[in-house]
Amino acid sequence: MVRARPSVSALAASLLAAAILTGCASMNDEARDPLEPLNRHIFAVNQAVDVVIVRPLAVTYRDLVPDPIKTAVNNFLNYLKSPVILANDLMQGEWKRAGETVERFVNNTMTLGLADIAAPRVPFHDEDFGQTLAVWGAGDGPYLVLPLIGPSNPRDALGIVVDWFIDPVYWTARNNRWDGLTYGRTAARVITARVDTLKITDDLERTSLDYYAALRDIYRQRRNDEIRNRATGPTPRAAAGEEKALVREEQAPPVATN
Amino acid sequence: MIDRRLFLMSAAALALGAIPPAAGAIEPDAAKTFINSLANDAIQLMARKDLPGPERTQKFRELFKRGFDVTAIGRFVLGRYWRDATEAERAEYLKLFEDLIVATYAGRFSDYSGETLTVLEGRPEEDRFLLVMSQINRSGGNPPIRIDWRIADSQGNPKIVDVVVEGVSMSITQRSEFASVIQRGGGKVQGLIVALRDKTKSLQTR
Repeated sequence: MVRARPSVSALAASLLAAAILTGCASMNDEARDPLEPLNRHIFAVNQAVDVVIVRPLAVTYRDLVPDPIKTAVNNFLNYLKSPVILANDLMQGEWKRAGETVERFVNNTMTLGLADIAAPRVPFHDEDFGQTLAVWGAGDGPYLVLPLIGPSNPRDALGIVVDWFIDPVYWTARNNRWDGLTYGRTAARVITARVDTLKITDDLERTSLDYYAALRDIYRQRRNDEIRNRATGPTPRAAAGEEKALVREEQAPPVATN
Repeated sequence: MIDRRLFLMSAAALALGAIPPAAGAIEPDAAKTFINSLANDAIQLMARKDLPGPERTQKFRELFKRGFDVTAIGRFVLGRYWRDATEAERAEYLKLFEDLIVATYAGRFSDYSGETLTVLEGRPEEDRFLLVMSQINRSGGNPPIRIDWRIADSQGNPKIVDVVVEGVSMSITQRSEFASVIQRGGGKVQGLIVALRDKTKSLQTR
């Protein structure tokens, strides 16, 4: 993973450049997916990798690992992400949430991060640099399907890279040559994230007419929901200004057209 | 019910010296009651595992049509292509759309395992809608799922026009999915109808 790092960021950067260069031509398209042919291609490859490797691992993990261990793994992953979440809380000016992240970290340290004893008072919240960019006013840009990572966009792809570089856990592991920690953590994140979405993706794949298009839209809506910090209603800041206008127009009374 | 609303509307009109906007017609409490009663009926239906498949699907279809404004949702989801569609295409599309939703949710309902719905709050939205917020409570320490119901007045009755699950609008998702199917099928509504026919058939025979 240490050696893989530069190539991942180089990949993200070149995808970003490609997206920006080709993106402007047909941005008026409702789907905002100017790279759709390429995206669909990468999507198909990702699907194949999922069917052969990721999904079977996730199903095995879900079915064979006892619940208390799964809970401890989730807690520990959340615990390790605390510094990145805190940094993003602060960069977004979310002082109260930053305080919650610190309080959770201090409390849960007593269990080495394996149990979430803070949760009853201060539930977990996530943050990432893609969301911070959105709060700062960056639009999401064209849709991108990243190899192995999946649905994304230039803003969130950049966010992944920045989160990696500001993560003290990553640097500590790297400086101490604890490669196992970085590999293990990455694997655990991929598997647990896949477990979380298994039911939804299985259902969607079965019932949708165009799985790719459905996921594309769901990804955008989910991200906007996360940017709003799960509050119902329109996105508060300029972040999703474009999206807001779009949604408002779309939410016009369904009886309008004739 | 209608009398009461008329009374409230005229009272409000008198008080404000103006005609209130149309969706002021549904009161938050009435909308919450509406969602609660639908949810109770749905849970009762889901809990009846003895019911044979076709009968279950039929009962679910009735429930769905009682709660949802199928025509309005169908038109919204078809978006700008509604105008392009012929009368015959519209009729077949609406029928297939209903079949798709019924088959989709009948499948989802079959793995019901004791979840309950808690209605939290109802509030007006953009003069036209009422948003009822709720959550599905799950067992085994799983966090609840957030569901918002967008409700509009349909000829004096509250009807659901959108369901928003964890910030994801079902109508908006389906709308962009259907647009994609139409575009990839050469911009013809007929392409969507064929795809819908195939999909509902495969879902029903499962």
